[in-house]
Amino acid sequence: MKTYIDAGTTWTKILKIENGEKNYSIIPTKDLRMLNLKYNKCTGHSLPKDKKIYENEVVALAKGAKKYLEDNFIALDLGSRDIKYIQYQNKKFKDMDWNATCASATGATIEMLLKFYNVDIKDLEFNPQKYSVTCGIFGLEKIMDDIAQGISAKVAISKFIHGIAFNAFNFAKNPSKICISGGFCENPCFIESLKQYCEVIPLGRFVLVDGLMASDLEN
Amino acid sequence: MLQELSQIDNKNKNIIAFWGYPQKALINEYKLKYPRAKWVDLDIDYNYPDLKFVPDAYCTIIKNICNNAFYLKDKIIAVLAPIGKDKCDSAYFISEILKDEGFNVIQCVFEDKCPDLSKIKLPISKSNLPLKEKVEIITRNIYEQKDYSYLSELKPSFGFWGVPPNDLNILNLFPNNTELFGWIRAVEAGYPGDWEIETYVDENLPTVFFTQAFCSKTALAKYLANKYQGLYIDIDTIPSNSAKAKIEAFLKLR
Repeated sequence: MKTYIDAGTTWTKILKIENGEKNYSIIPTKDLRMLNLKYNKCTGHSLPKDKKIYENEVVALAKGAKKYLEDNFIALDLGSRDIKYIQYQNKKFKDMDWNATCASATGATIEMLLKFYNVDIKDLEFNPQKYSVTCGIFGLEKIMDDIAQGISAKVAISKFIHGIAFNAFNFAKNPSKICISGGFCENPCFIESLKQYCEVIPLGRFVLVDGLMASDLEN
Repeated sequence: MLQELSQIDNKNKNIIAFWGYPQKALINEYKLKYPRAKWVDLDIDYNYPDLKFVPDAYCTIIKNICNNAFYLKDKIIAVLAPIGKDKCDSAYFISEILKDEGFNVIQCVFEDKCPDLSKIKLPISKSNLPLKEKVEIITRNIYEQKDYSYLSELKPSFGFWGVPPNDLNILNLFPNNTELFGWIRAVEAGYPGDWEIETYVDENLPTVFFTQAFCSKTALAKYLANKYQGLYIDIDTIPSNSAKAKIEAFLKLR
């Protein structure tokens, strides 16, 4: 059996392959250590960087989204605490960026907002208005102001998410096509917001573990 | 260098301090005048107390200059202070401030253009030494002036453009076959203010364009990174894990 894990700040994505059958799962990262899991390759913020088995997250993203990168999509991974993108040109690496110094406009903030205001992610709808989240902390202030003015929490959070989508589009240097990796793929409000700016293909949450598998097969 | 500093006699002034790359003539003049003096590069972080002399959001190298200068003030004979295009505007302001604070500051400008680019010698930048060692040797050689022409040249696979980082350990991420470009290359060439040398890169080499955060060279680094499809990176004091990971990913994917 082969096991690949992407241990993010909040969630750990796992791919197990047994007798050619792939089995994907997600667990809270806080539970990972209790499992004493053995793995062939790994990536993510929450694991030690053992050179023999650890793969750089952007490299894992590049390998997991290779097909789309070679079709001139930007691959963008928006996680709990960071955002990173990679771009190919003529099937070769062209550009990348990775911002992990501020997590106030990423997934963990959205999860906290939903819990704080007791809003279900399914109730969020695309809102054509957006907050500026160049600084996520200022964006949070706008949510509080709007709610204080009587706007519902779900509308305010939708505007914040639209701001994150616009921010992600700018961070990736305004591409025409983006494929998205990470938890935001399961956030229809985010995907719909991003579609206002470019073509979007959500790839799901397991792109990096697929990249680890590809990397393992190469070696 | 730290060992050298620990040998400094506390009672007497016996340090010639400098930053950037003062002209050889000026260096030689002070070597002759003070043959027993220790030479201290104020650009380097020696972990002296942070005096908060400049604003928090300011170039770390300039902060180092201030912290080092004030910590060693009683021992400094003179500060050789490049203030031209070979250094930066911040260095000019700091040189004036240090003068105002009672330092013996010798301002200098080293903006000479290389008359024949085909004749410059870059044995260290092109050598097979580890990148960190290359940078350390070039900066030390500003006052040591040793001959390194015996070093063997290595076919480069990567490029590093920029200035010596505040934390040189970031250079350990690069393989030995990384060629130096930018200001540090211009220093080895002996023309720290030469635009042609500073902005030259081998466009076939994947190159990391590095500057200190809050340095005006960030504009040039970003421009060149876009022009040559390199990786732009600015770091303030110590590189974050994401900064290191970005460089690792770039080196792996290019």
